[in-house]
Amino acid sequence: MTTLNFRARVPVFDANIGVGHLRNRASPFESPEQLLREMDRHGVARALIYHLEGEAMSALEGNERLLSWVDGQSALHPQWVADPTPDSLAQLQQLHRPGQLTSVRLHNSRECGLPFVDWIYGDLLEWLAAERIPLWLSLADTPAVEAREMLRRFPDLVTVLLGAHYSHSLIVRPLLRQLPRAHLELSRYEGLGKIPPLIREFGIRRLVYGSFYPRYAMGPMLFSLHHLGLETSDLELLCSGNLDRILKEGGDR
Amino acid sequence: MIAGTRVIDFHGHVGRWDGTGMRDDPDEMLGAMDAVGIDQSCLFNIFHPDGRTGNDLTARFVKRHPDRFIGFAYVSPLMPETMTPELERAVDHLGMRAIKIYPSYTPFPLDNPVWDPVYDFAHRRGLVIITHTGIEPTTAPRFLSQVAPRFPGARFVAGHAGNVEPFRSQAIRAAQACPNVYLETCSSFRSPGVVEELVRKAGAERVLYGSDTPLMDPRCQIGKILTADISNQAKRQVLGENACRLLGI
Repeated sequence: MTTLNFRARVPVFDANIGVGHLRNRASPFESPEQLLREMDRHGVARALIYHLEGEAMSALEGNERLLSWVDGQSALHPQWVADPTPDSLAQLQQLHRPGQLTSVRLHNSRECGLPFVDWIYGDLLEWLAAERIPLWLSLADTPAVEAREMLRRFPDLVTVLLGAHYSHSLIVRPLLRQLPRAHLELSRYEGLGKIPPLIREFGIRRLVYGSFYPRYAMGPMLFSLHHLGLETSDLELLCSGNLDRILKEGGDR
Repeated sequence: MIAGTRVIDFHGHVGRWDGTGMRDDPDEMLGAMDAVGIDQSCLFNIFHPDGRTGNDLTARFVKRHPDRFIGFAYVSPLMPETMTPELERAVDHLGMRAIKIYPSYTPFPLDNPVWDPVYDFAHRRGLVIITHTGIEPTTAPRFLSQVAPRFPGARFVAGHAGNVEPFRSQAIRAAQACPNVYLETCSSFRSPGVVEELVRKAGAERVLYGSDTPLMDPRCQIGKILTADISNQAKRQVLGENACRLLGI
């Protein structure tokens, strides 16, 4: 029964939260403590966070700023942003040595005016695939044709596709068929009746909950997923188990 | 019902929009409504400028589940001679309870006199008009501040409440300035704090829950209300009390 107030009833590990201010948009929270309060309000126990500055300005500097957000915070897990510069790859390799690298998020290639092609991003993806480090990639910022062509060149690379919107409705299923190592993060995918067919065709293990906070409110998609009529075990996989597995093992192999 | 409150979804569609995967499957729509306690959804078909074609489709759709769906009439100034006769037919013979307009499908801004017959009809009949508002040049909510005072018998609902800034602020200012302007919440831009801002600045009695079903899932959109940091009384108003008052149900 629906009530006027909601908290998650399964463990939640949010796969998509940005921290820090954008150059053209101030964040509604300024500290880990404020973020943790909002997470607690919805019953979100853990979050994978990246620094928004890395998306379009500098992956290098954004990642440096991320350190202060995760220092001493067991509920906040760092996700490092990558761009195609040698400096960025060198930084990721340095972070990987002490084992701090469990996932990488591609910067916003579209905003930087770059096509997502192997002669620009090939070195990065080759290294990620070799090291079994999963890549987060935004469909909102990457043309589906480029994503498909590029990711098929790296068949061992595990990916989480972000940003799918109802306008991607005719793209998502064919793309997931083309990319068997791809998972879909659901924060923006809210067309009526669009998630159950994905579960039927691809299985619950290919789907991941994320909020896209702070650009999207944290609670609505989480609420919605709780009301899809899923078995509790499937809801747990969707809300935390799948992300845990992807980060731990680089996804299914 | 949610916690004893009758829940009305004020924004939904009849018709198909295949490029987005939208289809008006009543079973799927009812299933989503039932999953979260939505009692009734308001529906309109905006894909036919003659009005009649879409209104007949809406009426047929509603007739299958008259206790769950409420039909709104649609007309377009692309065919101006049809507007008033079609509104009369839709309201008097098809039982439509309100009016939907969609200026984005026309070259006419909301304050263009070509819309006046619709506004005048609503004014004379005491009806609600819900209009799309947002970034499109024809749909800026600031136009409502000019139009609503001229037709005080009509109630104007800013669909999407302007969607994004600076249009959201325009919508709020229209509601603050005009007692017959209301704000509806559906949007694929789910920015945090928006529902809280609408309630704080316009008043909970002026905000209406809507989802854009079946383009968007009403579960996610109602989640915006239920997870908002507002009082339970405000939630009850937004979820249904205001809509019941406006529609006289």
